[in-house]
Amino acid sequence: MKLALALVAATSCTVFQRPLVAPPNDQATVLLVTGGLGHPIEKIARHPWFAARRAGETQWTIWEVGGGGSADDPFDNQPYLEPVLHGVWRGAAGADAIACLEREAPPWLAALHYRVWPGPNSNSFGDVMLRRCDLHASLPVTAIGKDYRGLVGASWTTEGTGLQIETPVLGLRVGLKEGVEIHVLGLGFGFDLWPPALIVPIGSGRLGVADR
Amino acid sequence: MTRATSAMALTIGLVVGARGALASPPQGVALLHLDASYLHDRQAGTGLGLAGFRLHGLIGTDAPIAYFGGLDLRAGTTNPGGFAYQTDLYLLGGGRRLGRTGLLGVAAGVGASGAVGTLDDAVDLPVEALFEANLGGRLRVLGRARAVWLLAAPGRADGAPHFGWTDELDATFAVRVGHRYRDSGIPSGNGYFVGVSYREARGAQWVGATLGYSVDVGSP
Repeated sequence: MKLALALVAATSCTVFQRPLVAPPNDQATVLLVTGGLGHPIEKIARHPWFAARRAGETQWTIWEVGGGGSADDPFDNQPYLEPVLHGVWRGAAGADAIACLEREAPPWLAALHYRVWPGPNSNSFGDVMLRRCDLHASLPVTAIGKDYRGLVGASWTTEGTGLQIETPVLGLRVGLKEGVEIHVLGLGFGFDLWPPALIVPIGSGRLGVADR
Repeated sequence: MTRATSAMALTIGLVVGARGALASPPQGVALLHLDASYLHDRQAGTGLGLAGFRLHGLIGTDAPIAYFGGLDLRAGTTNPGGFAYQTDLYLLGGGRRLGRTGLLGVAAGVGASGAVGTLDDAVDLPVEALFEANLGGRLRVLGRARAVWLLAAPGRADGAPHFGWTDELDATFAVRVGHRYRDSGIPSGNGYFVGVSYREARGAQWVGATLGYSVDVGSP
């Protein structure tokens, strides 16, 4: 029973999580952040946003579905709870990412016919921007809709070292870094090779080392 | 009473119980479970691990009995290894709301189950009884039992030694620790649960544990 309780307590646990500290504004910066949806589904559904800031600026520009605009704090995006930082691009990479988001995000958002499930939704936006802008990071498995590829689709993974083939019912993501992730009706299970973690459809989506 | 007769009687009862449930403004309860379970047959030394989700809903009016249905989708592995799956769609059922987000329901449906190399693929005709109720602010009890009649799998027929009227049976009782909320007038809750599971199949008794996370939402 002790083991069971320990497993329960650890179910949404990740170690070496990135600290929620905004980098200084001496360089162009783009952050990929997700936050949990409101109660009672904050542990099983997350929403992503990109926070972008050019060198010297004090305000962040938020790119997301259903919001956006400017913000003082890139991690305070109401009503989303328990923010997690998944990716940071700085300097020339940050400037390229800002230019790409400004080019790719507005037309994608304008053409969006939103569907909560299976997509396209806010997580599909995050996934598409990561791939179009060549930003190597993974959205958590609880970002349901990140794997939306239409009725049937295949692509490179956002990390860039794997492939995935998806339908709304079943999907598979396999990669050198990504490990193996099985998707069932949008829920993901599997294991990440690097950083090592079990993939679970709860909380941050990982039981192990935080993705970075 | 034969097994077929008892299944038919239960089905008619569910139809009668659920009639008229959608006649006026709906109210109800929705439950989502994400869980993983492992059951072990000590005699044979084999095991079955499944993970997936269960989505159940109760929708009706002020009538005593409301419509109850659900979807279970689970996949995993046997021990020794082999892909295993179990999916059930419950379309015909009736139930009653307990408090704001609790319920007691019974539903019948159709599904499929099997495991590579160890369990013949079968068409399932399951009947599930489900009970959930809050105990105070943080605790919630979860119970479910499922009897299954199997088609197209003669090797799994009459596999429940203590329940001869069905082919297989499984049950879980769990306790959830979590939170309850009322946002915008909508009662809801979530939390992690741990429980014991029992299964009778292939002429043997299987015992194991279930871990999971569940969300419940009720109409205002």
